[in-house]
Amino acid sequence: MNTDGTIHARAIRKSFGPKLVLKDVDLDIASGEVCCIIGPSGSGKSTLLRCINGLETVDTGVLKVNGEDLGYYETETAYHRLNKKKIAEQRTRIGMVFQQFNLFPNMTAQENVMAGPVLVKGAEKGAAARQAHELLASVGLSGFGDYYPAQLSGGQQQRVAVARSLAMDPEIMLFDEPTSALDPEKVGEVLAVMKDLASKGMTMVVVTHEMGFAREVADSLIFMDEGCIVERGDAREILRNPKERRTQSFLEKVL
Amino acid sequence: MLNSNGHRRETTVSGVDPALKPRLRRRSTFEYFAWIICCLLAVGILFSVSTNPNFKWHVVARYFTHETIIRGLMLTIFLTVASMVFGTLLGLVLAIMRSSSIKPIAATAGVYITLFRGTPVLVQLIFWFNIAALYPNLTIGIPFTDISTAVDVNALIAPITAALIGLTLNEAAYMAEIIRGGFAAVGKGQIEAADSLGMSGAMKMRKVIIPQAMPSIIPATGNQVIGMFKETSLVSVLGVAELLQSAQLIYARTYETIPLLIVASLWYLVMTLLLSYPQAQLEKKYSRATSLLPRKAKKVVLTAPEGIAR
Ligand SMILES: Nc1ncnc2c1ncn2[C@@H]1O[C@H](COP(=O)(O)OP(=O)(O)O)[C@@H](O)[C@H]1O
Ligand SMILES: [Mg+2]
Repeated sequence: MNTDGTIHARAIRKSFGPKLVLKDVDLDIASGEVCCIIGPSGSGKSTLLRCINGLETVDTGVLKVNGEDLGYYETETAYHRLNKKKIAEQRTRIGMVFQQFNLFPNMTAQENVMAGPVLVKGAEKGAAARQAHELLASVGLSGFGDYYPAQLSGGQQQRVAVARSLAMDPEIMLFDEPTSALDPEKVGEVLAVMKDLASKGMTMVVVTHEMGFAREVADSLIFMDEGCIVERGDAREILRNPKERRTQSFLEKVL
Repeated sequence: MLNSNGHRRETTVSGVDPALKPRLRRRSTFEYFAWIICCLLAVGILFSVSTNPNFKWHVVARYFTHETIIRGLMLTIFLTVASMVFGTLLGLVLAIMRSSSIKPIAATAGVYITLFRGTPVLVQLIFWFNIAALYPNLTIGIPFTDISTAVDVNALIAPITAALIGLTLNEAAYMAEIIRGGFAAVGKGQIEAADSLGMSGAMKMRKVIIPQAMPSIIPATGNQVIGMFKETSLVSVLGVAELLQSAQLIYARTYETIPLLIVASLWYLVMTLLLSYPQAQLEKKYSRATSLLPRKAKKVVLTAPEGIAR
């Protein structure tokens, strides 16, 4: 069975000091699925995403991304930490888009997009430049390759950030509130790029407050509260007809 | 009465439109007082300095470009440049070690920094000068063989070597802290972005952290250069003929102590002033909000046309 682009989590637990942030979270995402995660702030959405990408390590539980145990290898009795090289390799297969874009300000848009292939995969510069050119065009930014992040609007920066992640040719893309830091009129251009990506069959996990996007694009929806997954299911179904009381009251507030 | 803009124009006794009158700053009596005192002091000091024959300004003028002094100045410049270059390189290594996740490496750098910042430079300089007392012979050899050579440490540690080692090792500790401060100023998001691309530690350092830490490191390093220029005068105690020692060598012969100290001081002052201008420029350049833009960026038009969202 091809497990590329899948995420499987069972009973993952994560605490920061005494505070339990993820309480036995189970998650299954199929290849090509678009899953939106919604929930009040502080409910652990970002933490879950950061665990899937290896920016945080889970305390206990099973976490398989692209069919491999993330960051660890399993033996009879324990999970042992992988070496840095192997971890970095796993990460190249998972793209992450941050709320604050986090473009490298010392590089142009094109250099940002080329950073992964050239600096990490050791790709040849000419080929990487051509690929960056295509990717920037695919997010509607042809001709912006020579601009530095500070010269671009928030929406443009976020689209460069998407292109930068895509340049690594990942099987999974994670988005942590990709439009929350944008001016309202710039939200659409980023969502359009994400929608395009979804239609191409990318596995996507999107933490978002854009219910319109969830309704239109997402296959599945997860509602999180206080470190637990409270409700999950078909996106349109939950948005139309939430079963859980906590989901109902949350949706009433945001819709 | 209405003017062309429709505003009512009020004419006062003086005939000046009140809307055009300048608004003056309030000067307190204390301010006038301070001006008077300072002017009097300045005149007094200038008068005393220029009329007191003991200053021997003609001697100052004679020795200002004296060969010995110029040679001393050159050595001072050399010591400053050399100890700053080596100190910065070693400081960079220490800063990277200090931020290492491997405890013994971080701790080693920590101990180094504490030791070298916690003791006076003068003591360190004298210490290196006398290191031969601790290790009279340095044996360089290949382990488990008989091949080795012994080096006489006393001969190895000439005054100038001791001076260079002392200044460099001390400067490295300070530069390490400056560079580490620069690293800390790089946002967490940047490191996470690099991590999520799978960048290795060294690559992250070279391509993400160091370039972004530069704006805070460079002005601080400029300050260190200015400080180091004057700090080199300490090595005169080792008998290194830098600027101060050169002045001392002359007045030991001619007993014109004060004029020669003035010669040395004037050179320190001139060099400091010469360095202050580029330093101020550096500070201005890197404190601007646009300092986020690399210099190359100026080539590109600053007003970006809107991208076409699809
Ligand atoms: N690095 C951290 N250290 C300590 N507490 C953290 C850290 N990251 C997140 N938390 C805590 O974990 C909880 C969940 O945070 P987060 O996953 O960011 O929530 P969300 O993204 O849903 O708003 C919050 O209470 C937050 O304070
Ligand atoms: Mg969050």
